[in-house]
Amino acid sequence: MKPTIAKREPVVDDAMDQTEAKLRPEQIQKVINEVIDKETGGRLWTYVNTCIHCGLCAEACQWYLSNDRDVSYAPVTKIKDTIWVMLKNKGAVDAAFIKRCAEIAYTECNLCRRCGMYCPFGIDIAYMLLVVRRICAKLDMVPLYLQDTVHSHAATMNQMWVKPDEWIDTLQWQEEEGQGYVPSARLPLEKEGAEIMYSVIGPEPKFLAQLLGNITAIMKVAGLDWTMPATAGWDNSNMAMYSGDFEVMARVERLHHETAQRLKVKKIVMGECGHAFRGAEYDGPTWMGWMKPPIPIVHAISFYYDLIKSGRIKIAKKAEGPITVQDPCNVIRNGGLGDKLRYIMNAVCAEFVDVTPNKRHNYCCNEGGGVINC
Amino acid sequence: MYELVRGPLAWAAFIIFIAGSLYRIIYMLAGCKKEKIVFPHMSLKHSLASLVHWVIPFNNQYMKQRPAFTIVTFAFHICLVVTPIFLLAHIILWDESWNISWWSMSDTIADYMTIIVIAGCIFFLYRRLTDPVVKNVTDASDYLLLAITALPFITGFIAYHQWFDYKTMLIIHILAGEIMLIAIPFTRLSHMLFFVFTRAYFGSEQGHVKHSKDW
Amino acid sequence: MPDLGNWDWKSKEKMIADTAEWKARFEDVWEPYVSPDGEKIASIVKIGEGEFNVCVNGETWEEPYEKLWYSRFSPDGRLTVLASKDMEWTMAVDGKAWENSYEYIWDTKFSADGKVIAATVKQDDVYGIAVDEKTWECSKELQSIASYVISPDGKTVAAIAQTVPLGQADLEGFLKGTWSVVVNGKPWQNNFVDLYGLTISNDGKKIAAEYRAAICDYGIVVNGAPWETTAGCTWEPVFHPNNNDVVTAPVRQGGRWFLATNGTFVWDKGFTNILYQTYSPDGERIAATVATSFAKWTVAVDGQPWRTKFGECVLQPYFNPDGTKVAAIAKDRGFWFLVVDGTVLGDGAYYDNIWPPVFSPDGDKVICKVEKHGKYAIAVNGKIWGSKYEALWDPVISPDGTKVLIRGIEDKKYYRRIVPLASM
Repeated sequence: MKPTIAKREPVVDDAMDQTEAKLRPEQIQKVINEVIDKETGGRLWTYVNTCIHCGLCAEACQWYLSNDRDVSYAPVTKIKDTIWVMLKNKGAVDAAFIKRCAEIAYTECNLCRRCGMYCPFGIDIAYMLLVVRRICAKLDMVPLYLQDTVHSHAATMNQMWVKPDEWIDTLQWQEEEGQGYVPSARLPLEKEGAEIMYSVIGPEPKFLAQLLGNITAIMKVAGLDWTMPATAGWDNSNMAMYSGDFEVMARVERLHHETAQRLKVKKIVMGECGHAFRGAEYDGPTWMGWMKPPIPIVHAISFYYDLIKSGRIKIAKKAEGPITVQDPCNVIRNGGLGDKLRYIMNAVCAEFVDVTPNKRHNYCCNEGGGVINC
Repeated sequence: MYELVRGPLAWAAFIIFIAGSLYRIIYMLAGCKKEKIVFPHMSLKHSLASLVHWVIPFNNQYMKQRPAFTIVTFAFHICLVVTPIFLLAHIILWDESWNISWWSMSDTIADYMTIIVIAGCIFFLYRRLTDPVVKNVTDASDYLLLAITALPFITGFIAYHQWFDYKTMLIIHILAGEIMLIAIPFTRLSHMLFFVFTRAYFGSEQGHVKHSKDW
Repeated sequence: MPDLGNWDWKSKEKMIADTAEWKARFEDVWEPYVSPDGEKIASIVKIGEGEFNVCVNGETWEEPYEKLWYSRFSPDGRLTVLASKDMEWTMAVDGKAWENSYEYIWDTKFSADGKVIAATVKQDDVYGIAVDEKTWECSKELQSIASYVISPDGKTVAAIAQTVPLGQADLEGFLKGTWSVVVNGKPWQNNFVDLYGLTISNDGKKIAAEYRAAICDYGIVVNGAPWETTAGCTWEPVFHPNNNDVVTAPVRQGGRWFLATNGTFVWDKGFTNILYQTYSPDGERIAATVATSFAKWTVAVDGQPWRTKFGECVLQPYFNPDGTKVAAIAKDRGFWFLVVDGTVLGDGAYYDNIWPPVFSPDGDKVICKVEKHGKYAIAVNGKIWGSKYEALWDPVISPDGTKVLIRGIEDKKYYRRIVPLASM
């Protein structure tokens, strides 16, 4: 089988170009075979031996559909141009091939898992592309912006190089902002034994600090017993999961869950971020050997659904005008929260207009999967 | 020659098919056990739910979106499996050898069903040659698998209608069937064996683990 | 440890404070903290717009602050609170602020006897550790401090610190190593990509940590000297309690976790995960939380896992004083259990939360704080004993092992009670 010709400019990425110059063939072969032998098993083998090359997955992929049905974006093509070659050659491939694998796996697939749902066999194509990412990560063939974020996770346990004092300082500042809405509001730090630990993603303290003020007010109005950690472990996001650096992923997730254990809370409530939910709910715990998070995680959609439905918070004024919503893959197709999301949209919007296809059949926003940080 | 293909080769084909299938399934399960997470993620309820939605035509959104393909693929696969099992001529062979028999379909129906299988193969061949996505991931092995699948039906059809030399055609037909049986466990025709498992796992992961659905 | 012998082990019950009265007096009363000896209870209270104070046993400190947080009692019973006034932060100890103030101060820690108080500080964008009001003098301008440890005697403080500035998205610079360990202000010679799991020997003479050499390449480093071999992943090391030459850490090889001492595997089999390895007090035995397979958690003692497995998680194991028994808190199907040597205590009693257990000196009784249906209680061998409390702190056993100090709030009143262990 000849490699698929992708009719587009090759990706220019300083980090990947430098890695390409450095990678040695024997190093590549060793890593590929190590990952395939030690880190995969029945699933990969069965998927490869079951795929009948029918191409039905193509129609599932928003990359394929939004690029005028360009063959090179079809999910099966991405498998053909990566895993099939690695298996056939027993890992004997060159650095340029690994770079192309990284382009495909990191920048032409969001791991949204829609194709798995459209494959008649239920072959989890996104899982195979995550295996490709794993191989690329171990070879340091990761797009610069993504790798930098992973390094941030590794060094600071948060996504945005937020330093320990900046985190606490931001919370204390935003507590005051929250008090602007509800004067008696408080953002309780390090309150052991609270019902809820609220965790966020790195961009919140970094760029969207007002969200922390908002939650301070919401928690007060809802009358909930909550806390936030004043230590690392506050960030529930995980770009290392997406780069394939699973050791860093696990360390971040372990700290997040152990922080909740240390604070003796009953549950973790998290913000909206879909990939963070995936990392904290599935991928991180799975690597650790936990069937599910040791302290349950409640996604923002479930949380707000409960608050609105139970009347703990009331919507004073609905947002005007026609408003739609994009179903985030990681909490809808891969989290089952589509109906609750619609309940919230109808509760807060005067005119909610749904999209097609919707719920678990949604199209990925194309930001997920580490293609864009957040 | 007939005695050879009807006797020892048939034995060999069935033994290889059954033993090979078992071997491949056990190999797969062992691989899944090694992976640790596979079995803990499985759930009977969600496995069955997934199968129900994917073995009944038009019982999931994607099949509704592609009605022509759904009809062809179901007709093809049903006829592919049902025809050889309930063909009178085959049952007679079972009866002769083992003294067992079961319900058979009329030869006319079998004839039509054979045509459906052959037409299905032509449809899939056409897709492989024309659909850019399929064409791009097609190699010699895909054409070979198609040929292995089509040949028993084409030869059976010819033999039944007694075009060309019947005896020769019959021998070719039996050989083609035996090749297909042997090929099932050891080629990607094994999707026949693995379908239940891959569906069950994805259904479990989407339903049991991720609280969603896969149809 | 502070001298527990000096505490009042005679008074059967003291009602220290009526917190209901505090609620009436102040605009807001935060969650209370109690001193280790139970003689004091304190809350941060809001006394006006942007004005906070600390209420200890009903008395407020002389001086209010604009912001207060992180009230923590030292082991010797002094109350420390991080305090801010005029945009500057400092440490207030029993109402008296340190002379220095900082851009920021956080993460208060104490020596074992509580005599030494330390915290991370930032001044003019340079990070450091302040020990008893004195900030380290460090030859390098530290860019950040991730975490630090303090030796039991308080004489050594070591931190994981960023010693080299790093530009935005400088992957190469990062992989050259920007982090080091700084001990009492003196950085190690080497830099590392990352450092984690900092730990200090009981005598304060040695420091160990996990380090990351490259992507997916980890190891253990002791006083700057790495173990000979590296691993796919590591978790935090611990020192032998009485021998600072011995360091043990979980390491990952070929997808399995092994326990290694000074770089050599000490348990013959690998696990799906190994966490919280803990030495017995005499250092003869090691217990650790392990997953024998996916979602099968238990404790392994000297490599031998308990037969009972738990589906969700197991927290840190605890040895009894003579090292013959091991207790752990485990979670299964949403509930917490107290487990000793593989047996769930209290006839399978389950709780909404369990706090770290303490063994009686003879190891016969395990006592801990538990939570059920929103109330707290003391559990003895897994069964609830005595009153239910609105708030409760960990029980403390007297040095002679005959009495238990119980500190709890009942009907909004804070009581300090001494109970004979034999009666429990």
